Amino acid sequence: MFNYNFRWAQALNSLPQMLEGALVTMEIAILSMAVGIVVAIFLTVFRLSGQRVLAAVATIWVEVARNTPALFQIYMVHFGLGSFGIHLSPYLSLLIGITFNNAGYLAENFRGALKAIPDTQTRAARSLGMSAGQAFANVVMPQMLRISFLPMTNQMVWAILMTSLGAVVAMNTDLYGVTSDLNARTFRTFELFAIAAVIFYLITKAITLAARLLAARLFRY
Amino acid sequence: MRTSILAAWAVAATAVALPAQADKLDDIIASGTLRCAVVLDFPPMGSRDAQNNPIGFDVDYCSDLAAALGVTAEVVETTFPERIPALMSGSVDVAVASTSDTLERAKTVGFTIPYYSFENAVVANEKVEMSNWEGMKGKVVGATAGTYEAIWLEGKVKEWGEGEFRPYQNQADVFLALSQGQLDATVSTVEVAEANVKSGNFPGIKIVDKAPMVPDYVALITLREEYGLINYMNLFINQQVRTGRYAELYKKWVGEGEPADLTVKGVYR
Repeated sequence: MFNYNFRWAQALNSLPQMLEGALVTMEIAILSMAVGIVVAIFLTVFRLSGQRVLAAVATIWVEVARNTPALFQIYMVHFGLGSFGIHLSPYLSLLIGITFNNAGYLAENFRGALKAIPDTQTRAARSLGMSAGQAFANVVMPQMLRISFLPMTNQMVWAILMTSLGAVVAMNTDLYGVTSDLNARTFRTFELFAIAAVIFYLITKAITLAARLLAARLFRY
Repeated sequence: MRTSILAAWAVAATAVALPAQADKLDDIIASGTLRCAVVLDFPPMGSRDAQNNPIGFDVDYCSDLAAALGVTAEVVETTFPERIPALMSGSVDVAVASTSDTLERAKTVGFTIPYYSFENAVVANEKVEMSNWEGMKGKVVGATAGTYEAIWLEGKVKEWGEGEFRPYQNQADVFLALSQGQLDATVSTVEVAEANVKSGNFPGIKIVDKAPMVPDYVALITLREEYGLINYMNLFINQQVRTGRYAELYKKWVGEGEPADLTVKGVYR
């Protein structure tokens, strides 16, 4: 039998602290997406470049990022690099871990998007006198980003949710970190995590709605 | 006439319904099992032996309580943060899990009188110059998230206004970070500190000083409104000390020496 009286007053008192944590969560997610997109574009170019070393780097990155748990990736950034004497703060470890994961997934999204763009466009661009780089940057890439816009939104939602993994590297300023810290102090487990869940939901919902509105504006044919 | 019969029935029904309100103490005795939440990665209080059986001070303490109640003990493993959900969802009756009795937490759960008390030590990385606990000022320090010592240390870092506090998820990660030099120092119970320095699993760490905090009194917990059970457990703890069982368990799990005094001078409970 569930034997519990919900008492919200104490938990609601900590709402301002949790909202501050939500800001840190959003900051990390946005930074990790911004850097992740740039890195993913580079990884995509590496794979297209035909250079064996660069293509191998990109493939290994994508394989590791997509086929190991994000928790493991974040843990390795902190404790794995730590064993080689490279000490990153919890904030940086989390940011780098999520960025690594984002870049891997986004690179794969971009690859899928590229398949939807006919080769003839590159050839047409080249025949107009553009260099290979110009053709990619001016003709192919804008379409690639447009096609993969909604998958990118998905990844952004993931990035928000992945910030909760920062706990394994002692992150305590993000939404999850703040909540579990409050929980240790007050033992109001159900109330605090219910509030955190609502905040997470509202953030991700706002992101998907904003992305949909943005897409409707940007991609009118 | 009819109304008075109805009224009589109503009164009778209420009279029958009310005594059915048994409390947790009765429920435990009736069910024949006492389910205790115990943290099993916290030696010497709770751990597992080579056959994977739960052992430790808290495990024995749960068995003693069950024996006193005349029921069988069932140990349910939880982590520190899981103790409360386990209690609230009714999957355990009490938590025998080294729970520090802070006033903040007492707003949520019901505490007994203390049944054990920890002292804490400051452990530092050998490369860090530190002669006493005040050397932690301005350094990167950390502790196991959710523990008494973590709450104390985080408060200190805020008070000093310099340095950084990091709460790791478990004791092993704290000492790994300390050994790697990611942390300059940590605060942990003397028992854990000595065990980790001795084990050699974490090279390059040293015990610096005792942490100058109020002794970390830990108590048994159950639901806040279960006065009957709390009352019973208070007497049980008293009897454990009175009969010498407390000292016996201390010797068995912690080592030679006097177990910590559970009374506070100059004040009633």
